[in-house]
Amino acid sequence: MSAPHTTASGVVLRTSGPLAALLRMSAVASNTVREAGRAKLFYGLLGAAILLLAFSIVLSDLALVDQKARLVQSFGLAVIPLVCVATATLMGGLLLHQELDRKTLYAILPKPIARSEFLIGKFVGMAALLGIELGVLVLCWWGVLHLRGGTLTGALVRAFGLAYVELLVVTAVALVFSALSRPVLAGVLTLGVVVVGRTNYVLADLLAATKGVFVEVPAMRSLGKLLVAVVPDLSTFAVADPVLQGWVVPWAYCVSAALYGAAWVAACVVAAALLFERRDFT
Amino acid sequence: MRGYPARRRCVISQAIGESAQTIVAVHQLAKTFRVGFWARPVAALRQVTFEMRRGESLGYLGPNGSGKTTSIKCMLGLIAPSAGQVALFGRPPSDPLARARVGFLAESPYFYDYLTPNEVLDYVAKLYGIDGPTRRKRSRALLGQVGLDHAAHRPLRGFSKGMLQRVGIAQSLIADPELLVWDEPLSGLDPVGRNEVRELMGELRRQGKSLFFSSHVLSDIESLCDAVCILDQGVAVAQGKLTDLLRADALESVAHLGLPDDGGAALLALQAVPLSHWEPLADGQRVVLPTAQVAELCRVAVQAGATLRELNPRRDSLEQLFLRKAVTRRQDSVGSPA
Repeated sequence: MSAPHTTASGVVLRTSGPLAALLRMSAVASNTVREAGRAKLFYGLLGAAILLLAFSIVLSDLALVDQKARLVQSFGLAVIPLVCVATATLMGGLLLHQELDRKTLYAILPKPIARSEFLIGKFVGMAALLGIELGVLVLCWWGVLHLRGGTLTGALVRAFGLAYVELLVVTAVALVFSALSRPVLAGVLTLGVVVVGRTNYVLADLLAATKGVFVEVPAMRSLGKLLVAVVPDLSTFAVADPVLQGWVVPWAYCVSAALYGAAWVAACVVAAALLFERRDFT
Repeated sequence: MRGYPARRRCVISQAIGESAQTIVAVHQLAKTFRVGFWARPVAALRQVTFEMRRGESLGYLGPNGSGKTTSIKCMLGLIAPSAGQVALFGRPPSDPLARARVGFLAESPYFYDYLTPNEVLDYVAKLYGIDGPTRRKRSRALLGQVGLDHAAHRPLRGFSKGMLQRVGIAQSLIADPELLVWDEPLSGLDPVGRNEVRELMGELRRQGKSLFFSSHVLSDIESLCDAVCILDQGVAVAQGKLTDLLRADALESVAHLGLPDDGGAALLALQAVPLSHWEPLADGQRVVLPTAQVAELCRVAVQAGATLRELNPRRDSLEQLFLRKAVTRRQDSVGSPA
């Protein structure tokens, strides 16, 4: 570890080494949580999700007695990841833009922090905020489920765990677009990745078919292959259907899906860091 | 490292940061922005070269739009130069270790408006790796120094521009930096605030800090700096020690001559010297002449029996120097072929 630098009046500065880098990134991350946690958009989405979960109480009344808990389960597994993905898409696109728009970046980047550290700090902060959002929603949903006589099984916990990995991937993708373009465009592009990523398996099936536009038109075939290759397969993390049908999602699958997500997160953060590194802040 | 390929990094320190006393070295710095749909090139800086030595107070002077803020952003790694090099303490500005020794105050500083001054200083201090007790101690001291101790726990949202400027000054000092880079530190302050900041700058100089600050207010620079770099339309038109620059540009001198009893002959002889102006005094003549003619005046005065009682170069004000340099450069650029 590098030696700290002591200034003329005896202030000790620890700017080198992994611990100092961690402190800087954690400072940026905690400020990101604080900043994003004050956004009306965040509370709007959270409130909407809580209302939808409350609505599932009414909906479950319409179900057969032995299906009430199952309806709450399927409702939660559909609504919670959807709202969290919306948060990741919209707020992820704003992550860097707000810093530029409010010129707060000019006060931070001239300090001894590498741009990549700043970017990782922003990502970690956003990931923490999404974790909080997911946690709050799952707690609310668990309450509703308990009211309807359901229980929180290990399979459900694993499903939400994989949903969180998906959120991290979406946030990392939003970070790349945020480093590259304006927030609206970043949001639209991230949404595009989410839609294509969620239906990636459909595209793969169409490419493997014996006829159809993705087989017969060479340009479409090339486009389809490109999309399958460059867009993360978000359907990997969507295990709601098998869980609701009572299938067991094995731990091995969860681990491999988490590793797949981690690889995408790493690739996106590196790409965003490279783009951010070359950017002029005029 | 942004703007500087690895091979060039060591060359920079060898080429322009070699002196232990040189803390800022800017060499042939140029920046061209691409603007508009057709990405039209607009040169914001052209071959700017200057150096700053340890303990020096350097004023970066120029009218609005002359490229002051662009050069400061290049110095701090916010913008990559199109050409040329910058070194802070012999390192490229993209190196965090170089920036650790710099305290920066942006023009019209912006901070997270939901934070209090205490929280801003705490956040910034963490970026410098300062431990918790020192962070708290320095935050208290600095907020007291800039007169914000009463508002230490209020969110910045309700702060005036002057109060934000004070927060900016405090955060630039949190890590006790050797070099302060302040962009227009006196803008947005009321007269009392301006005076307080001027006094603070004087105090920091006495503490041995090196101070680099930009302004378009010439009196601020003249009273606070011992060196200047004058920028006009992205070109450094003059630079050096303020005293040297003003002396070097003393184009005229004022002489007080005592005349002999038979003053008429002496006066006739002195008329041979091209004088700009003269006026009779009770005890002789006061003459204004081009400095280049001083030697001739002395020779003629001795021959005519006149006494040279006083001779002073007429010292330009910084304003006159700036106007002359800027106007000359603009005339030159208009006259030169495209």
